[in-house]
Amino acid sequence: MRAIGDWFDSRSGFRGLVRAALYEPIPGGARWRYVWGSTLVVAFITQLVTGVFLWMAYSPSTQTAWESVYYIQHEMYGGWLLRGMHHFMAHAMVYLLVIHFLQVVVDGAYRAPRELNYIVGLVLMFLVMGMAFTGYLLPWDQKGYWATSVGTSLASQAPLVGEDLRKLAIGGANYGHHTLTRFFALHAGVLPGLLMILLAMHLALFRKHGLHVRHPHRRPQQMFWPDQVLKDSVAALAVLAAVLAVTIWRHGAELTAPADPANPYDAARPEGYFLFLFQFLKWFPGELELWGAFIIPGIVTLYLFLMPLVGRTRPGHVFNVCLISLLMGAAAVLTVQAFHEDYFAAWSDKDEVFAAKDPVMTARYEASERFLRAQADARRDAERIIELAGMPERIPPAGALALMHDDPFLQGPRLFKQHCASCHNHVDPANREIAAAGNIINERPTAPNLFGVGTPRWIAGFLDVRQIRSPDYFGYQGSPFHDGEMALFVEGAFPEDASDEQRAALQTAFAKVAAALSAEAALPNSPAPTPQQQADIEEGRRLISGGLSDMVDSGVSCADCHKFHDAGEVGGAPDLTGYMSRPWLMDFIRNAAHERFYGENNDRMPAFAPHEDPRLNQLDDQSLALIVDWLRGDWRRVSPPPDAAPQEPPPAQ
Amino acid sequence: MTPPQKPQHSSPVHAEAEPAPPTRRSFFAVVAAVLAGSLAVLTPIGIGIAAFLSPLFRRTATSEVRVALLEQVPDDGQPRCFPVVADRDDAWTRYPAQRIGAVYLVRRPGEEKPIALTAKCPHAGCFIGYSESDELFKCPCHTSAFNLDGTRVRGDQEVAPRGMDELQVDVRQIAGPEGANVSEIWVRFVEFQTGVKERIPTT
Repeated sequence: MRAIGDWFDSRSGFRGLVRAALYEPIPGGARWRYVWGSTLVVAFITQLVTGVFLWMAYSPSTQTAWESVYYIQHEMYGGWLLRGMHHFMAHAMVYLLVIHFLQVVVDGAYRAPRELNYIVGLVLMFLVMGMAFTGYLLPWDQKGYWATSVGTSLASQAPLVGEDLRKLAIGGANYGHHTLTRFFALHAGVLPGLLMILLAMHLALFRKHGLHVRHPHRRPQQMFWPDQVLKDSVAALAVLAAVLAVTIWRHGAELTAPADPANPYDAARPEGYFLFLFQFLKWFPGELELWGAFIIPGIVTLYLFLMPLVGRTRPGHVFNVCLISLLMGAAAVLTVQAFHEDYFAAWSDKDEVFAAKDPVMTARYEASERFLRAQADARRDAERIIELAGMPERIPPAGALALMHDDPFLQGPRLFKQHCASCHNHVDPANREIAAAGNIINERPTAPNLFGVGTPRWIAGFLDVRQIRSPDYFGYQGSPFHDGEMALFVEGAFPEDASDEQRAALQTAFAKVAAALSAEAALPNSPAPTPQQQADIEEGRRLISGGLSDMVDSGVSCADCHKFHDAGEVGGAPDLTGYMSRPWLMDFIRNAAHERFYGENNDRMPAFAPHEDPRLNQLDDQSLALIVDWLRGDWRRVSPPPDAAPQEPPPAQ
Repeated sequence: MTPPQKPQHSSPVHAEAEPAPPTRRSFFAVVAAVLAGSLAVLTPIGIGIAAFLSPLFRRTATSEVRVALLEQVPDDGQPRCFPVVADRDDAWTRYPAQRIGAVYLVRRPGEEKPIALTAKCPHAGCFIGYSESDELFKCPCHTSAFNLDGTRVRGDQEVAPRGMDELQVDVRQIAGPEGANVSEIWVRFVEFQTGVKERIPTT
């Protein structure tokens, strides 16, 4: 062994190098305060290692970036841990840099003869920030996409060259494949390459000038190896432990929904350590933005580089320390302010804020509410798309965004808001909270509530005296059906002098009618009927087709106005054949004024797609299908929800 | 096996060489060496930079897009928002029928043709909303407000550096049902640089 070592040493002189590396004298002995630089080196090595392994699984293009990160995060063994470590170690690096920098400034270690090394260190700091900025975009999720696009559109406001600079950075006029390839080349190639060269210079210069020793010496001189190396290693291990703890606590780094250029994300924020810049910009609206984005940060940067010059004298050094403390304090205040503004609505009481009638505070509250809502929506989108991506059908070649665009669960509410919600409600009668899933609230509806269309419960409401004239059914504002034949029929079915027995019998009959109509809808989530339910449905069909006329005073049954399979005729009221089934509902929305539906009784529902030629229609077939599928609860599920379509009979009167 | 002595392996050339005094011949050698070496190193860098700069020389064509039917925009002076759907090219991929923006169409009473205002705020590119209660366009990001013709409510006091960007509108006839003609609204969709006073298309 020794012989081999000698052979290598004679041809490389490695023993000398190792000796020079390890036996650096430390006057005053090893100390904990000297560990920060080493923790940064170890943090950088961690980033190199985790980064290279991430690289082996990452694919930079708009159809594969999010998808490959999804695969790393959710399908590879320990992938979430790998990505989480890379993500949180990046955070740690920024904070370690701040500590390292502050120590250098406070101790005056930037002064002669170490000015050049201080400048190299500053450049290293900007390189690390550049890597943090470019890395944020790479998952190509909503958060990174919109936060980074704010950054690059700011760059375009730089005088003269701004727009060209932006184009070069993002590889075209708009974000796309080449934004990713360029950012990735910077993040994994150019910047770390430069960083390694400068780090070598930084360490060489550090060795040349020796440690900036803190007086007084507490102990006799020691060597770097093993005393300081031990302290450095323990500190590096502590950093790693902290990063791992945060990674596990947060279940890895967040992955929001895939970037959608057509769908702006209002809660996009830069990472925590850049938040102060974001907040700083708020102070410079309009024309002044140039000051906030370029001039003041430029002056501060220039000052940082000139600090060794200013610090040549004792008062100059004191001035430096004061100014840096001030800048750091300002950054901290801005960061706190940014968080406070965004989470204001979550941290304060709405009534109290609005009672004070301060327009600034109410505006802040509303802005914060919007932020929190956008964040919650984005979280729901992310959960859904991750669920979809994990299904046996996998992600199509067009990418996860196509999967999102074809999903009724995600697109239905958006399209409903756009096309339907100016008249219709979509509110769970059991939970009218604005936050409840699927609720889209219209304070003053001018059309029925469409929550749960086609379920027995929803249909039963039309056959319930108390409900049919409520705003959820025919009692909305200006309804022509409030005193229409349907409402009168239901009202007349329960005369004042009816016996309890008669009432009960009629209610059972109506429940069977509702069950039979719901069977027409064939909702994807209704469980297969039991033999008893099947018998009820059969009985319901008989009642609709004419059987009901024997039970009500008016002697009228459904088929006297509605068509139902072979019974009745179209023209009087909507056809109940296939009521609320997918084709029925599609045709209904295409043209509610068709004789099969409301005919001339239709006073307000627009014909969304009555023409064969799609160019003549307001609504395209795909959007139409998405709305219908969403209303009918027809979207892909991991497992059928236990109570998606309540099957219990309507509440007794 | 005893290791050979160290000095034998340290390069004697490096240790002893003294630069010769400059001569005419060595001057040419220096020039030639610098030229040849620079050419060898700089050529690939230059070619790489040329490829890197290509986004500056590419022009994206503006597209004419059909946004709505004229009957969807009655001449009541109220703005209506429509998505702008067109094919979008991203390097080698063509995404068919993508939502690339949105426009507000406003047709004043008695007018044949609506005006089209792009919904992207000229300040920082946020999506401008319409507030029915005070009949103004409002940007959610920095509270810029615009009148129904796209001008800024408070003029230069407004955060936005210019009014909303107006797009060129074209009304075209197509054959509708039963021989009747139907009018379509087309706009020439152009994106403009944000944050500047002038209206400069980003191409």
